[in-house]
Amino acid sequence: MKFSIRRSVFIKELNNVQRAISSKTTIPILTGLKLVASDEGLTLTGSNADISIETVISASDEDNGLAIASTGAIVLPARFFSEIIKRLPEDTFELNVTEGFQTEITSGSAAFNVNGLDANNYPHLPEIDTTDAIKLDGAVFKELISQTVIAVSNQESRPILTGVHFELDADQFLAVATDSHRLSQRKVNLPTGSSTKHNVIIPGKSLIELSRMIGDEYDQVEMRLSENQALFILGETSFYTRLLEGTYPDTSRLIPSEAETTVEFEAPALLASIERASLLSHESRNNVIKLIIKPTEQTVTIFGNSPDVGKVEEDLKPNAVTGSELEISFNPDYMKDALHSFGQSTIKISFTSALRPFTLVPTEDQENFIQLITPVRTF
Amino acid sequence: MNKKELYDSFIALTKATQANLEQLQLLQSEISQVIEQNAELEIENEHLRDLLNQSKGSAKEPQLSKSRQNLEKLYEEGFHVCKEWYGKRREDDEACAFCMEVIYREG
Ligand SMILES: [Zn+2]
Repeated sequence: MKFSIRRSVFIKELNNVQRAISSKTTIPILTGLKLVASDEGLTLTGSNADISIETVISASDEDNGLAIASTGAIVLPARFFSEIIKRLPEDTFELNVTEGFQTEITSGSAAFNVNGLDANNYPHLPEIDTTDAIKLDGAVFKELISQTVIAVSNQESRPILTGVHFELDADQFLAVATDSHRLSQRKVNLPTGSSTKHNVIIPGKSLIELSRMIGDEYDQVEMRLSENQALFILGETSFYTRLLEGTYPDTSRLIPSEAETTVEFEAPALLASIERASLLSHESRNNVIKLIIKPTEQTVTIFGNSPDVGKVEEDLKPNAVTGSELEISFNPDYMKDALHSFGQSTIKISFTSALRPFTLVPTEDQENFIQLITPVRTF
Repeated sequence: MNKKELYDSFIALTKATQANLEQLQLLQSEISQVIEQNAELEIENEHLRDLLNQSKGSAKEPQLSKSRQNLEKLYEEGFHVCKEWYGKRREDDEACAFCMEVIYREG
């Protein structure tokens, strides 16, 4: 196996594949990067227990400066190898597997010799048997991920809640996550529908990595779902993730259909007030703030207190207040996470009672994005 | 104490600590089992009392049904009453939307 390539091109793809490579794996060969040179191009693969990433650098694209002198495969220690490549002196480098798995890397007058591993011992990537390719808009999908992963649980004691539940039916794509304290749900209309129904749970951590990889670069993402794996294709890169096993709890029943009290706010203004009040609640053991809503007077007042430090009271500036009077307490951190996800928009908060979860939606589009927060009982 | 003795007593202490830790972990898991079982028994007890009262013909109409009140009480004591984690302790007393739904849903 022997090839030469433009270093910047290689580093860019290496950075992507390295997202899947961990130095803390129990399978030693997975700390390595797998390289396969064929006549078509160079394939880079990285993998851990949860995700695998594979990318192809085409030999026919002149910008890559890729010349395959002889085909073959090798596994190289990823961290060490990438440090070397990043510090090489010239714009291009040459890689040559000489005797056994000895690998020679040369660039200008610098020459490294690295011990590689037999690529035949590298685990096979999962087979995705489905042909149902669901096309997603890169920016929309990234937004969907960022809006839902905030509500994913980080408690491994309830593994199923550490994932985001994807449900696809024809052109309807619904993503929902809950840690049982709050919930976030996003609906997207697919440009071209899915021919089969899908119901899968994708680990939140995998989605965060995927979202970073989509970045601003990929405006199209193709999703393929099988029994226990999901595959996302971004250009020449394939991103595989395992799915979480089990049945996701029915979350549709959690979202109340009617409201007793509603208030409307500019999300950034409310966020600033909540952050102020939480300065004090964070100092107290139970971290709770209280809202008192009086529709007859069109007022909403926020209270926070800490027995040790003091208290805070602030009259908020709602755009609208309707329904019955209400006093409700909740964890301000959940409210902050939720408000961040609304950006600059105007939001509507709907309450049923002091004991039931309340919802936040953007006033512009009340159907497709909803956040739910469970109040805290204070009596 | 010479170095050998120091080393030996260190080993002995380490072993003893490990043994203690194991016992502590065992006790911890026993305790959480007992607490969960206790929670379930309490629910069952309340159910039975409920039935007993019904058969005596109490006619009071509370806001929440008797069984919902029992669930509420249990929830306030720090246990899940939802289908998903029934009888498990609510960690740090955090609110559970699934429990709320079971206790306060309409109908
Ligand atoms: Zn619960």
